[in-house]
Amino acid sequence: MLTDLNSPQEGPLAGIRVLDLTGGAEQYCGKLMAQLGAEVVLIEPTQGSASRRDGPFIDDKVHIEHSLQFAYLNQGKRGMALDLTSPQGPEIFKRMVANSDLIIESERPGQMRLLGLDRESLSDINREIIVVSITPFGQTGPYSEYEGGDLITLAMGGLLSLGGYPGLAPTAPYGNQAVLASAQFAAVASLIAIWELEGQAGEREGQHIDVSIQESVAMALENAVQYVDLEKTVRKRTGGEQSQAGTGLFPCKDGMIYLMAAGIGAGRFWQTTTQWLLDGGAPAEEFCQERWHDAKFLASDEAKKIFAEIFIPFAANKTKTELYVEGQRRRIPICPLSTTADLLENEQLVFRGFFATTPHPYTGRNLVMPGAPYQLSASPWHVSRPSPRLGEHTTEILSGLGVQSDLQNMLFRDGVVV
Amino acid sequence: MSQLPLAGITVADFTWIGAGSFTTKILADFGADVVKIESAERLDSLRKAKPFQGGISGINRSGYFADRNSSKRSITLNLKTPEGRELARRLIAQSDIVANNFTPGTMEKFGLGYESVREFKPDAIYISMSMHGQAGPQASFLGYGLTMGAVTGLHNLCGYPDLEPAGTGTNFPDHVPNPTHAAFAILAALRYRRKTGRGQSIDLAQIEPTIAVLGPAVLDFTVNGRVAERAGNQHLSGAPHGVYPSRGDDRWIAISAIGSQSWHALLTVLGIPELAQDPRFASETTRWQYRNELDAALASRTALHDAVALSQKLQAHGVSAGPVQDAEDVLYRDEQLIARKHWAYLDHPEMGHTVYSAFPFHLSRTPGYPSRPAPLLGQHTDEVLKEKLKLTDDAIGKLREDGVLQ
Repeated sequence: MLTDLNSPQEGPLAGIRVLDLTGGAEQYCGKLMAQLGAEVVLIEPTQGSASRRDGPFIDDKVHIEHSLQFAYLNQGKRGMALDLTSPQGPEIFKRMVANSDLIIESERPGQMRLLGLDRESLSDINREIIVVSITPFGQTGPYSEYEGGDLITLAMGGLLSLGGYPGLAPTAPYGNQAVLASAQFAAVASLIAIWELEGQAGEREGQHIDVSIQESVAMALENAVQYVDLEKTVRKRTGGEQSQAGTGLFPCKDGMIYLMAAGIGAGRFWQTTTQWLLDGGAPAEEFCQERWHDAKFLASDEAKKIFAEIFIPFAANKTKTELYVEGQRRRIPICPLSTTADLLENEQLVFRGFFATTPHPYTGRNLVMPGAPYQLSASPWHVSRPSPRLGEHTTEILSGLGVQSDLQNMLFRDGVVV
Repeated sequence: MSQLPLAGITVADFTWIGAGSFTTKILADFGADVVKIESAERLDSLRKAKPFQGGISGINRSGYFADRNSSKRSITLNLKTPEGRELARRLIAQSDIVANNFTPGTMEKFGLGYESVREFKPDAIYISMSMHGQAGPQASFLGYGLTMGAVTGLHNLCGYPDLEPAGTGTNFPDHVPNPTHAAFAILAALRYRRKTGRGQSIDLAQIEPTIAVLGPAVLDFTVNGRVAERAGNQHLSGAPHGVYPSRGDDRWIAISAIGSQSWHALLTVLGIPELAQDPRFASETTRWQYRNELDAALASRTALHDAVALSQKLQAHGVSAGPVQDAEDVLYRDEQLIARKHWAYLDHPEMGHTVYSAFPFHLSRTPGYPSRPAPLLGQHTDEVLKEKLKLTDDAIGKLREDGVLQ
């Protein structure tokens, strides 16, 4: 790890060399590392990562180089295609392991061992290697062999039971959030292990990290498990309803807003919201009455109905942005229910330069995507290089390993590499 | 067992409520010495939030607070007094990391903003996790977990397209995107400091990591001009895929049987092999085209089965399936979570033997785990002042009399 970290352009993870074998949304882990300066190589099967087959696609063109899912998850990485199930595949991989610090993999438990590529086998080549494995239920336990997937792990991790509408089938969080959650926890775990490794004196030793997607989902249960343990109450889903009068979604001129007039810090926000309505000519005198400070009444259907009948006409001729800005000026927790289109116009995000632009050489397009999720003053995040085309850096990487070009040609002809 | 991997790292923790406290729990469970600096006058609102042990409220009885604060110590300081602020400065001077999730300007008001801290502690890693970031036209806007879900676009995308958005049913940003991104940034900054000797400030706007995990939806708009919509539980890659009714009151099973092998296995287990002959369901493509009809046909069969038993049968046939488990199921009945000790039980002085979550990553050589229960308010004030600031009992008594330690 020789990179000069004193140059202000270097990310804080400069010098860390990562091999990323994951195929789906687990790829977010390597992206987090790459954009803080780690050197990440995505190793794909010769037919390409599974995420290349997930939409949306650029210009809706279904093509292995058009997936926006793939482009987003692999920003900052170099890429090679290598068939690890071929006889030569594991040998080439092991040569790469000798010069790496971290492997991220999401094979089913036991598969890496079958290939002779589990941490224990690899430690003969590189004692310092850290291997992080992301699987649906973890490496051990009675369900470790179960088939997973985002929806199934959301169900078994408990979060699905809290999403959706009473009376209808529970609904999942949008967009692979179970697998993404595991990728985020895997990234944290990797840095904990790297911190520990780099702090060792003398001959250093890496370790194996076992990340469970189901457990990652269970982290998102908020207080639901404690409700069971402490109050013997099972939380249910309540989507599509005001949780109490004044708190929930309300329509306005160009969409919807989320208002929290009651709830946390209740008294204060209730008063300021009432004043706002009165200033706007709404018949909100009613809200000054004593009963609106009673939590039981606020939770009643009657209270919710009265609030809606007064607030909705008030909001009907105002836009999301107008309500957001004026409500916040009055120190009321209100915000727009943003669509993805709204995000690009969000003044605060624009001010922070949150959206980053990166070229997509295959299509010649420029992609605008979410950028730095944190701003580090001394060692900043970088958008870094575009996601790799399939096999884009294969020859570069093989040459770096000292594989002669005639041998490269043979590997290519045999379908071992692309 | 070796010592915990973050042993030796010290944190002056000014965070409260959700995402901030969850971030420092990660550090604490893996061995960092996290000192939570609280105020008895302005309580962490989670101390007053349900659920309470036995349903009886009290500032040391909340499970919501406890779960986010395992393995930490708590001291109370009155930062409105000059002496309180001086004690805070001395604690910071001995800490590697300073963390807060206040509205911008709050730490500055106490003379504890980054610019002040770097003067007496140049190598501090100082993370601020405000809702909207440290500067900008909306930096002072109020927000909570639920408003954050809405303003980031997540809430709008969860639920059925023809109904009002349902969201995730939780303050999702508080529990996954924000604490993980914050901890990742802190650990990266620690490494940078180890290599260069330099500290830095980290400005994490809590709205941003959640948008980062919606990247492909944002790109669909910026590249294709398409505004992403709610899609229930549908999966574009195929059918059948969804949540189906099962036997019992409000009981459901998630099944994903995309691909020919899973499809036939599903029909075998459900005892309806004839469905394979239906021309509407003859291929991967037509199953997707007729997915609503397919879902209805499957639902009438799944409704006859117990979700757990059916899942186990389907899994034995290689079909991805699982019961929709509620909090009671995951806590008491899920054999996997129990076998992997996902739930940690700790003995709390007031709450007794109660449950905490352990992080979902198991390190083979240096594992971390919740090591002690959430602290009582100010439980470690004397201990920390003696140990870290070398104050005597007399000095502490005097500070307490003067109202500095509230």
